[in-house]
Amino acid sequence: MTDREVDQQLVERVQRGDKHAFDLLVSKYQRKLGRLISRFVRDPAEAEDVTQDAFIKAYRALPGFRGESAFYTWLYRIGINTAKNHLLANKRRAPTSTPFDAEESESFEEASLLREVNTPENELMSKQVVDVVQASLQQLPEDLRSALMLREIEGLSYEEIASVMNCPIGTVRSRIFRAREAVAENLRPLLETSKGKRW
Amino acid sequence: MKQKISVLMDGELFEDEAASLLDHIKRGSDVHKDWEVYHLIGDVLRQPDHIHCSLSAKVRERLQDEPTVLAPRGRAVKQRMRTFALSAAASLSAVGVVAWMSLQISPEVAPQMAMQQTALRPVSMQIPANSNDYLIAHQEFSPSTDMNGSASYISTVSYSRDEAPVKNNPDEK
Repeated sequence: MTDREVDQQLVERVQRGDKHAFDLLVSKYQRKLGRLISRFVRDPAEAEDVTQDAFIKAYRALPGFRGESAFYTWLYRIGINTAKNHLLANKRRAPTSTPFDAEESESFEEASLLREVNTPENELMSKQVVDVVQASLQQLPEDLRSALMLREIEGLSYEEIASVMNCPIGTVRSRIFRAREAVAENLRPLLETSKGKRW
Repeated sequence: MKQKISVLMDGELFEDEAASLLDHIKRGSDVHKDWEVYHLIGDVLRQPDHIHCSLSAKVRERLQDEPTVLAPRGRAVKQRMRTFALSAAASLSAVGVVAWMSLQISPEVAPQMAMQQTALRPVSMQIPANSNDYLIAHQEFSPSTDMNGSASYISTVSYSRDEAPVKNNPDEK
């Protein structure tokens, strides 16, 4: 079952009245959509509101989603329209007038700008999360770290990773899980203490 | 269970397992948290400069005020039926074309054609002797032969029925 098929299955569950399935889609795409919207709406608090609005609009429009495109492509369009409407409502111009697609948005870097406008508290929390993940990664045995990086950064399938690492697919599956879980173990206490911040 | 979540988010779980796991995630909040943490780890690794607070809780709160969405019941089924119908139609038309082509060359026709050819072969015609040179010189351009272009490399041997066969020497008996 591919990533797209997982999304489609979640979408079909939402279409059958399962709100909880939509939670899983929000968890999965919130940062990706947030990054996209922050290209239009520079203020982080506003960008967060617009991202929420986009998700709510997507939820309302889901009965009309027929799965002809990938869920994220569809969500991406809603995100762009919501951001542009927000700017129009506030009589501001979008930072770019040229159309760009979902793939381009992934490679677009506006980190420095985000850092400038982010609140010190949020910035500190972001930094802590990133530090914990990276420190945990460094502590991992080489084979676990490589498997996780090949999956998350390079986007390789289990079969491809098995070929690169010269090991069975079952071993890849196990290594990626153990790597994730080791990082998550270190991350959970931080997320629990900052529960009010909804990390 | 956690390992299955890890495999599911990588798109490597089988469909039936994924369905039961999603049912399980629906029931258990801890499983949902694992899903969220694993995705956070992936996002941090890919884009460490774009990490922000989770919006899940806020969106969830707002969704409580939203009426439950329900797609028209037959939509998903109709979509699948349409896909199935289109693929079935394509297969049937392919089969139809193959059947039609095979009917054009029915098994009865082929032997008849072969018989006609064999029936033609015994017919002999007298070719004027002076045309032999012409035919030999131009046989490589003949469309009736499969050896166009190569015929010039074949040496021809003529045989005439009028010539008396060479008799064996009676002394050899």
